[in-house]
Amino acid sequence: MANRKETRSARVGDWVDERSGWRLAWSTVFIRKIPKVNWLYTLGSATLFVLVIQVVTGVLLTFYYVPEPAQAHASVRYITHELSFGWLIRGLHHFGASAMVILTIAHMLRVVLYGAYKYPREITWLTGVMLLLLVFSFGFTGYLLPWDQRAYWASVVGTQIAEVTPFIGSWLKTVMLGGEEISALTLPRFYGAHVWALPAILLSLVGIHLYLVVRNGITSIPKKDE
Amino acid sequence: MADVTRRRFLVRAIAVMAGAIAAMVGAPAIGYLIGPSSDRSGSGDWIPLGTATSVQPGDPVLMKATVERKSGWLTDSQEVSVFVSTENGQNFTALSNVCTHLGCRVRWVPDQSGFFCPCHNAVFARDGSVATGPPPRPLDSFETKLEDGTIFIKEA
Amino acid sequence: MNEQEKEEYLEEYAEEKKKGVDFFPDIIFKDTLVMLIVFLILFGLSAFEGAGLEEIADPTDDSYTPKPEWYFLFLFQLLKFFPGNIEVVGVIVLPTLAIAFLAALPWTDRSTRRHWSGRPLVTGVTAALFAGGVFLTVQALLEAPAPGGDAVTAQGDPVAELYSANCAGCHGTSVVANPGTDFYRVIAGGTHEGMPAFASDLTVEEIDSLVGFILVPRGNDTFAATCGDCHAVGDLVEIEPSELRDALALGADYSPHSGAGVPVWGEILSDDVQAQLLNFLSAPDGQRLWSQQCAACHGTSVAFEGGEAELRRVVIAGGSHLEMPSFREQLSDEEIAVLAGFVTGAEVGPEAAALWTASCFGCHGGRIPTATSHAAAVAAITTGGAHETMPVWGEVLTDEQLDSLVDYVVGVASGSGASGGKELYAQNCASCHGALGEGGPNPTRVGDIIAPISTAEYLETRDDRTLEAIIAQGQPNFGMSPFGSAFGGPLDNEQIDAIVAFMRAWEADPPVDLPPEVPDVPAATASGSEVFAQLCTQCHGVEGEGPIGPSLKDETWQASHTDEEIFDAINLGHSATPMIAWGEILSSAQIGELVSAIRDLGRPPPAGIPTFEANVLPIFERSCNLCHGTSGGWSGSTYSDTLLTGDPSPTIIPGDPLNSRLLQTLNGTHPQGVVMPPGSPLSDLDVETITNWIVGGAPEN
Repeated sequence: MANRKETRSARVGDWVDERSGWRLAWSTVFIRKIPKVNWLYTLGSATLFVLVIQVVTGVLLTFYYVPEPAQAHASVRYITHELSFGWLIRGLHHFGASAMVILTIAHMLRVVLYGAYKYPREITWLTGVMLLLLVFSFGFTGYLLPWDQRAYWASVVGTQIAEVTPFIGSWLKTVMLGGEEISALTLPRFYGAHVWALPAILLSLVGIHLYLVVRNGITSIPKKDE
Repeated sequence: MADVTRRRFLVRAIAVMAGAIAAMVGAPAIGYLIGPSSDRSGSGDWIPLGTATSVQPGDPVLMKATVERKSGWLTDSQEVSVFVSTENGQNFTALSNVCTHLGCRVRWVPDQSGFFCPCHNAVFARDGSVATGPPPRPLDSFETKLEDGTIFIKEA
Repeated sequence: MNEQEKEEYLEEYAEEKKKGVDFFPDIIFKDTLVMLIVFLILFGLSAFEGAGLEEIADPTDDSYTPKPEWYFLFLFQLLKFFPGNIEVVGVIVLPTLAIAFLAALPWTDRSTRRHWSGRPLVTGVTAALFAGGVFLTVQALLEAPAPGGDAVTAQGDPVAELYSANCAGCHGTSVVANPGTDFYRVIAGGTHEGMPAFASDLTVEEIDSLVGFILVPRGNDTFAATCGDCHAVGDLVEIEPSELRDALALGADYSPHSGAGVPVWGEILSDDVQAQLLNFLSAPDGQRLWSQQCAACHGTSVAFEGGEAELRRVVIAGGSHLEMPSFREQLSDEEIAVLAGFVTGAEVGPEAAALWTASCFGCHGGRIPTATSHAAAVAAITTGGAHETMPVWGEVLTDEQLDSLVDYVVGVASGSGASGGKELYAQNCASCHGALGEGGPNPTRVGDIIAPISTAEYLETRDDRTLEAIIAQGQPNFGMSPFGSAFGGPLDNEQIDAIVAFMRAWEADPPVDLPPEVPDVPAATASGSEVFAQLCTQCHGVEGEGPIGPSLKDETWQASHTDEEIFDAINLGHSATPMIAWGEILSSAQIGELVSAIRDLGRPPPAGIPTFEANVLPIFERSCNLCHGTSGGWSGSTYSDTLLTGDPSPTIIPGDPLNSRLLQTLNGTHPQGVVMPPGSPLSDLDVETITNWIVGGAPEN
């Protein structure tokens, strides 16, 4: 640190570091050695990247979207067809959902392939399984929001599948829908879950997941005899 | 040395790629957010007010028209009120009835031959100019035209 | 893993790390490159493919083919392998097991082996799970053709088209189901898996043919190979199974086939294939079988005292259980001879058919008995008595058809046995649907109108099971609560059957008829009252008294609706009722006049001679004095002004309406000037009031 040129930016950096310790945080996360790995190891960060895309575009969509049956479809149509770059924001969010599913599963397969769920990464794996379920939950709740025919009927089918659950099936469906069938009560429910509840859980789990990845490091590629 | 160059290249490449992604999301996002403010539908449309015969030389007549305004995916109707007056039955003057001071509605007082605003006792002359009181500028006026006996104003 | 193994691993890992690479920038570079690629793919998809948006959700659209997003397709497809009771295995058990397997991996696989070849079980099961998911997804994508494009229609078969339009979207090219599934009920009523109820979209015949198609796909193939060259499915579905059986068995001897070179299918096709063909053309539906086979003799009476087994015996055996009257007294010998000729198929004149219709049709219906000889026929007709009147159905109908016929008769018989259908209807249904099923304002939903349920169209498009389901389960969307005891309502199944039987009685003579589409579009110049007479009276009555639509002359109705509300109701209509959006047919001006015409209904013309103060002045105040009070000329503001002002005055000649200038102007019979008031003439009622006032001498009070 002593030989660092006394540039203005370095001085600002020092000033902030003195009060926040960001250099330590930065070096802990980024300035470290990890075993030699192959391209399959980019799947995790790619998933994280798509998650960020989903969060950013999702937040942007809420600027216009109205979760109310009379307006939901009109607002989505407005976003898609009239608003400048609305097609892009909604398109990224729409296809990002599929990308999340693909990348999460691919990432998971890589972990299984290399036995990366073993000591000391058991908790990382467990949070990962939960995250996979969450990704599907996002897909399910988000699908109804545009309130078009496809969304509506897919949700009809989806919630009726839930009804098959033994003993509590019909109760479960009523709770999910906020009534006997998809109604004005259902849309805000799905919206609340998709935009508030699920992201809160997801981001907490992602936080734990990432902390553990940094703490334990990523697995090396196992050798044949390992 | 080669290692340093390689390192510098990698850092640059990361910066360029991350910058490209950020730009491709960021710029559209800004356009997306400010999109509706640039959308001024309805301005420049001619709004029919009523028949010319209802305005005679003399006192201005308060005329109302309903304007459909589109905000996003919703369309709602707003009422536009203007004072229309004429000297000769051919050329018409249309003045907004909104006081330029704080937005109260002015009314025509025939005795004083002026528009009176009840909020701060401002008075505008027949042509809309400020006679007395706090308003900073004359009443807003609209371009008018006469077509098939109907008076139109042009939406600002 | 014990402590030593853990330590070994950590050491080894630390070693790997030391030999490794920098996370920043080496790894981050790779990550960023992949991110950029992923982003460009997403960007490209958004730009060129775009996130689609279909029409706004329409919960009433049963024709829509629901399809989940692709990443749920595997689950959707899995369901097809687990129909009925074991559905729970596909939906809950398997996915839960898969997730549990994944979550428990670190604890089930405790070996130190990390290379995949050292963990064959884990990698094997995971690969199987993944491959299974991919397989199911791909299969679902291949099987469910996009609505519109489908493989099944290629045959040009209407039933196959029906199938592909309604079923293939979810079920693919064939439906696998447990034996004994009641397909009719499933199609008509829908299932809890998200299959909509088709009863409202398909006719009974269409559902029948679908059942046939699903039940016996080979029947369809057989049909295409044997009958398809000459017949359309729709034609043959109408024909009675016994006749179809004859057609198969008799070959060219079957009269419509004579000379057509038709082979004797009965010898070519095996019994199984024939049964499939018959099932295909006349799928089991008790209600329809009854109307085809039994109603000709039994009418709608399905009262049967015995049990199901006995009924089945009677139906299967057929036999001589009816007493035919002796016709010796009623017909001349010549007539009897003609009839005998008719039933033996001899050449007879057209009077034979007429005679048959007059004397025999009432009992025999369209089924003409066959007699072995002319003499036997004459003997049967003259003596009457018990002879074989009911066919041996056991030989004619397939087992499925017998089952459903017996079920139907037993079901309906037990329902109608109570014979309380009418009372039950009056107690439970009439308050909303009206005593005659004519409908009316929906008490549970403001502004909603309940459409008639007693029209021929309504009853014909809903079979008994659908009506039973509606009554039992209610229509929560429309505010109808469930009436079936199974759903918390007051009625048991027998009572619901009785109500349905009562409603069926309407079908022959519907008390309510929907208006024809739009009889004639009223001329643009038609006045409000003319439009009212032409269009509105169909439902609202000549004087607005109803009964199909609400009474418009009713005082509370008049008081509780503003002109704007009435205008909007006419202009926009009420969805799901015969009250269509007339704004598409009538001009705004006409609707405006219609509103005043409707207002007139609530203001009956004054009794006796109208007076100026009570009757005429209000009209002037309302319609004339805005202009005339102030701008000179005629003024109607006071009695004397009305009589004296005007140019030329007077405008009113008491007792002489024809020559009164005022009326001439109101009626448009004056050569000069426009009809007053300009743009919106007075309603007929107002003009009539003024006319009567002038005729009566134009009194002031």
